[in-house]
Amino acid sequence: MDRGPLFRRKTAIAYKTEEKTVLRGYDLSELAEEGYSFCDAIFILLQGRIPTAAEEKMLNYEMGEFMEHSMSPSAAAAISVIAGRPNLPCAVAASIMTFGGVHGPGAAHGYMMNKYLERAWAEGKTVDEMAKILVDEYLDAGEKVIGLGQPQHRYGDPRAEPTHLKQEELGVGGVYLEFQRAIEKHFDARRRKEGKSYVGVNVVGAGNTALMDLGFSPNAGWCIGSVCRGYSCAAHALYHMKKGHAWAASRREPRVQMLDLSMIEYIGPEDREVPSQDERQEYARKQKESGEYKKWVI
Amino acid sequence: MGDLKKKKVIGNLDDSQLPYDYMDRPYGTVPADESRPPFRWVSEVAYKNVYRIVARGYDTTELVEQGYGLVDMLFIDFQARIPLVEEESMLNYIMILALEDGLSMPAMMSRIVARSRTFLTQACGASILAFGHAYGAYSAFGNMLIESLAQMEEGGKTIEQVAMELVQDKLGDPALGVSDLMLKDPVAKRIFARAEKLGVAGKYIAFTKEIVKAAQQISNHPIDLDMLGATGAAMMDLGFTPEATWAIMAITRSFGAGAHYIEEVEREGMTRLGQELTPKEDYDGPEDRPVPPLAERDRVAKPAQTFTPEEWKNAFEKGKKLHGSGFAVIEEIEDPSEQR
Repeated sequence: MDRGPLFRRKTAIAYKTEEKTVLRGYDLSELAEEGYSFCDAIFILLQGRIPTAAEEKMLNYEMGEFMEHSMSPSAAAAISVIAGRPNLPCAVAASIMTFGGVHGPGAAHGYMMNKYLERAWAEGKTVDEMAKILVDEYLDAGEKVIGLGQPQHRYGDPRAEPTHLKQEELGVGGVYLEFQRAIEKHFDARRRKEGKSYVGVNVVGAGNTALMDLGFSPNAGWCIGSVCRGYSCAAHALYHMKKGHAWAASRREPRVQMLDLSMIEYIGPEDREVPSQDERQEYARKQKESGEYKKWVI
Repeated sequence: MGDLKKKKVIGNLDDSQLPYDYMDRPYGTVPADESRPPFRWVSEVAYKNVYRIVARGYDTTELVEQGYGLVDMLFIDFQARIPLVEEESMLNYIMILALEDGLSMPAMMSRIVARSRTFLTQACGASILAFGHAYGAYSAFGNMLIESLAQMEEGGKTIEQVAMELVQDKLGDPALGVSDLMLKDPVAKRIFARAEKLGVAGKYIAFTKEIVKAAQQISNHPIDLDMLGATGAAMMDLGFTPEATWAIMAITRSFGAGAHYIEEVEREGMTRLGQELTPKEDYDGPEDRPVPPLAERDRVAKPAQTFTPEEWKNAFEKGKKLHGSGFAVIEEIEDPSEQR
């Protein structure tokens, strides 16, 4: 049996021989035997170091809290994909792939924080001063400040403030926590000034702040958050796979299903005759010239 | 479709069973179904409201405030229970071992996706697709154990007999959990030792040990418990179904795949559409040949139709010889929800 990799790469992450698998210099089996936790191993994977006990605790808190979020785009994707009954990993993969610029944008939050911290350093400003600049620049440009607001938890994400407090309790808060708190303060002040309602920090704003104070890069933090959510999405997919009807349109279910025909509302062009091939060229020319179709182009 | 009006089509003529007139099919969407309650995201797993996220009845923030963590959450989401400390410890142990495996298939899939300049989440998702019925075949392995143990209970056979029958049927199958992959690495056997030490080893580990013994008796080369068999059996003794095990193990490896995505972006380049060449020496298809003029199509082209089983068989066998045509692949595409 050929046991070589499909393609070769220099890698600083891990190697594997017939005798052992080594992660950043540590034998994985020895790490497990010694009693290190999975969260410790995540630090080794993404930072090449063993964390302090407080850091390990904070990551465990963060991952435990972020894993399950009931119905969000990721869970909906997993449930939709499993409706066709492909192999389960397809549903899990789809759920993780929903994380982008809006759903759990951990990396984007991290890049925003780093960009403005870099400016604070370069321009000799305090973290608080730079937080105000960030809020003003984003809002003046009509952009959303990443990490604030959540469409479902409209009075504030129930996970967010406890995460800030846990960081403080464990003594793992750093410049990111100070910066995030300052962003929240200035954001709230500006909204009050504009007569707008309260918008609290969300789990990305709080959780990613904690991850960055734990030493994770924006992408490493995003990896932790988005992949972690995959576990709960797998559970949602499995529930539907084992206890629901495939296709999500069964009329035997007591409740109308997600893909029942009655769930469709159509707001596109009116029903119209299909032109024959003899009529096609003239029909298509007129249609193109009228330009009416352009309002439907997506 | 306009053409159909001039033709005899299935469902139009000579089909008295068709419950509608094909030529007079109505347009328009279906009105709301008021005979049943409207659609809702029904779930046994979790719900949330404006103030809380609740998994299997437990407020998730309260769980982490109480000191429960990710590994506990897996038991809660998949099994609706808080695990024993020993069970939490065992799953933690398994997940460390599942986290990373060098330049394995999930890592490479992640790296390939990374080269297209994608989001990290695309690469992590793609890495999970590496888990199938050969690589990381936890679903196949687990269901095989469940079926065999059920046969043992129904058929009055001993565990040794069932293990031997299974091995005689499956030796060499990548989902057996026994292979020559771990002859020099003790980690697979350490998993069983750890499960026994923690008191969480049960019938699946016991049966897998019998499978190993039986396989070693009839194999003509050295083989032993491998990582699939070790982690799969241990996960099932922790109460996870084969499908839950499949998902948990694949997702756990996806963290490692994320690191490989990052390293690929950091250390390697991007690949553009059309950039990669395929050397002619790697090609063993038909020789280069001239494209016939379109006007000669009828002379050159031969239809695929066959009219007798013999002709069909000949064509099928010929198709098998053309790599990439798909005729040589036979797979069972089943509804996985039947695997309970």
